[in-house]
Amino acid sequence: MTFTSWQFGVFAATVFAAYYQPALRAFQVQLLVFASLFFYGYGQPELLALLAVAVFGTYLFLILALRDRKVWLPVGVIFNLALLAFFKYKLLFIDPASPSLVDFAPLDFLLKLPLPIGISFFVFHNISLLVDLTRQKATPPTLAEVFLYIIFFPQLVSGPITRAEMFMPQIKPKYLADIPFVDAAKWTLLGFFFKLYVANNLNEMTSYMSFPLYETLQTQDRWLLVFLYSYQIYADFFGYSAIAIGLGLLFGYRLPINFDLPYISTSFSEFWTRWHISLSAWLRTYLYIPLGGNRHGVWRTYLNLMIVMGLGGLWHGAGLGYLMWGLLHGLLLVLERPLLSLMNSIDLAVFRAVRMTVVFVCVTMLWIFFKLPNFDHAVGYLTGMFTPSTNPNPAKLFYSLALLYALPVGIQHLGFHRLLEGRFRLAEPYLYGAMAALMFLEAGPETSFIYFQF
Amino acid sequence: MSVVGWLVRCGVGAAIVLVACGFATMRFDRGLQMPATTTRDGTLITLSRYLREPVPDIVLVGSSITFRLKEEYFATPGLRNLALAGGSPVTGLEIVANQPRLPGLILVEANVLSRPIDIALVERYARGDAEPLFFRPIRAAVAAYEQRQHAPLTHEQVSLDLRRLVRQPPSDFDSRIYADRALQQFNAEDPSDSVRLNVKRMEELIRVVEQRGARVLLFELPFSDPIESSQYARTTREIVHAAFPDSKRWLPVEANRSELRWADGVHLDERSAVVVTQALEGALASVRATR
Repeated sequence: MTFTSWQFGVFAATVFAAYYQPALRAFQVQLLVFASLFFYGYGQPELLALLAVAVFGTYLFLILALRDRKVWLPVGVIFNLALLAFFKYKLLFIDPASPSLVDFAPLDFLLKLPLPIGISFFVFHNISLLVDLTRQKATPPTLAEVFLYIIFFPQLVSGPITRAEMFMPQIKPKYLADIPFVDAAKWTLLGFFFKLYVANNLNEMTSYMSFPLYETLQTQDRWLLVFLYSYQIYADFFGYSAIAIGLGLLFGYRLPINFDLPYISTSFSEFWTRWHISLSAWLRTYLYIPLGGNRHGVWRTYLNLMIVMGLGGLWHGAGLGYLMWGLLHGLLLVLERPLLSLMNSIDLAVFRAVRMTVVFVCVTMLWIFFKLPNFDHAVGYLTGMFTPSTNPNPAKLFYSLALLYALPVGIQHLGFHRLLEGRFRLAEPYLYGAMAALMFLEAGPETSFIYFQF
Repeated sequence: MSVVGWLVRCGVGAAIVLVACGFATMRFDRGLQMPATTTRDGTLITLSRYLREPVPDIVLVGSSITFRLKEEYFATPGLRNLALAGGSPVTGLEIVANQPRLPGLILVEANVLSRPIDIALVERYARGDAEPLFFRPIRAAVAAYEQRQHAPLTHEQVSLDLRRLVRQPPSDFDSRIYADRALQQFNAEDPSDSVRLNVKRMEELIRVVEQRGARVLLFELPFSDPIESSQYARTTREIVHAAFPDSKRWLPVEANRSELRWADGVHLDERSAVVVTQALEGALASVRATR
């Protein structure tokens, strides 16, 4: 069930209506857990068992780790990483299409299970739960609370990756009068607008980036499509995160903000404080700092950055392309690090604009490895960007449509929202209404959220 | 501003845009040609125009092979090319057959017959309501702009250029890479089952439209020699000729093959498309004269 389906609308409205019934107030957590299980099992009921194993296993290790952190915390973390590795990276070693993979039927069944949606996200939730609560030496939460933290439906499939120490204290009775309806409406409408109007329409064009279709493109269109994909992936993931935040607010939970205008970053390190913030924060807290962060000299810092970004790339998928994407981002972080203080000392608008452009172009070019996880295809696409096209029947793209569909991302990044907070405050609700109408009228063909695959 | 006030204003904002677009739909009706997607607009605009305008005398249905024969290449008046780039000739035939009035002559391409019928497209045009309920402002604006920039050309406007183009020597573009890849694809699978299914449907549709007074002729556009002898082309040719053995059912398109080039291995380049169009028109003239 995706956020953009009518079934989800009915589901969310039903759960919301039941959630605030006074008679059910004592069971709000259980209701949300049940609703989240229904949401997850709607498309893949066979994977509910896996979700249950992940949650029960994590709960068990949490209880044990609260008694003996030194022994059971690593076991709990390894248990979760093993789950992730088994489902995500098994395809590196097996061909699921073959009739029998091993002679042992139960293992054969497990090997043939599809990649569980959202596994990368809920595994990170589990690890955060184990680390945060055992560090705080907190009283053990109930099983229902653990379930809710891990599988709360707005964030279950694609985040934001919520830290346990931030989410768990929010679990308490919720009242209708406390809902920030306007904020919830703004986040939800903005999210749907970016997904339906921007991302789905741009997807029609960027589908030409797939192999072998990209071979029909003219050189300048290859360049255009890379930039359009950059806008699309932002609109798609920002859209999902915004809807999740809006839905969270409706049920009384504040989820972390995942994006903060990433394409105006003036450095790569700044970019990672603005893009997929919850993942960056998770990697920093649970990987970079435990590895030593920047506390052990320059070269060790560089090595840590490369390790974290490489693993961050592999977290998205088992492929050389994802690894390459992560490592290249790591390399950019390493290269800019010695120059950062010098660059920051130059306070010129033109220089800032140049830095912004360089960061945006580099980040955009690296999205090619995301769009084309097959490394050879990505290299083929990149090569074509620097050689004149020879195809006499190139695909036709409408530049005017591309501009109009990508425009909201540009407008958002130029900071027009500040006008709505100031002089044009009265126009704000009308603008959101117009966006709602526009996303209904101009919605692009249905496509799943890009981050669902992770 | 209260919560209710904010939400009411938001609803009013949405309503204003929707009402404006509703009025625009009533005002412009089918005058709006809106690409439903960003890349298939050519097909949809052509089909929408076919429904909107008076029924032509001759209609071509086909795949991307026939799509290359642009309408402005034809000197024959009252001819419309409904070939679907990436689609099947049977889809086009089905759409034409579903309309209340039929053209006098329907020409059906028989080169690519393995693709399934696009049911969604057929249903959409069978209803006759090719336009959506509401005016879609962005797409309509872009469609209007594109049409203004690239208005459909007439044969008279381009005839001089076409003559000049045909006088030039054939292209020396090296298409070997594309041709090899195309040949690989044309030999990759046995299309027999899907072609048989489509040919059967073609027979049914031809029977129906001919009962209603239209005449149907089949035609084959030339492929390059390697493609002609590929498994796909051979199988398709055998099945369709077995189903339609009468030579009078066929419109012979005989162009000088040495003059033809297939830029991507399969589709005719512009000059060759003009040459083939002229050959097709010649054949058409003699068939009509005989009749």
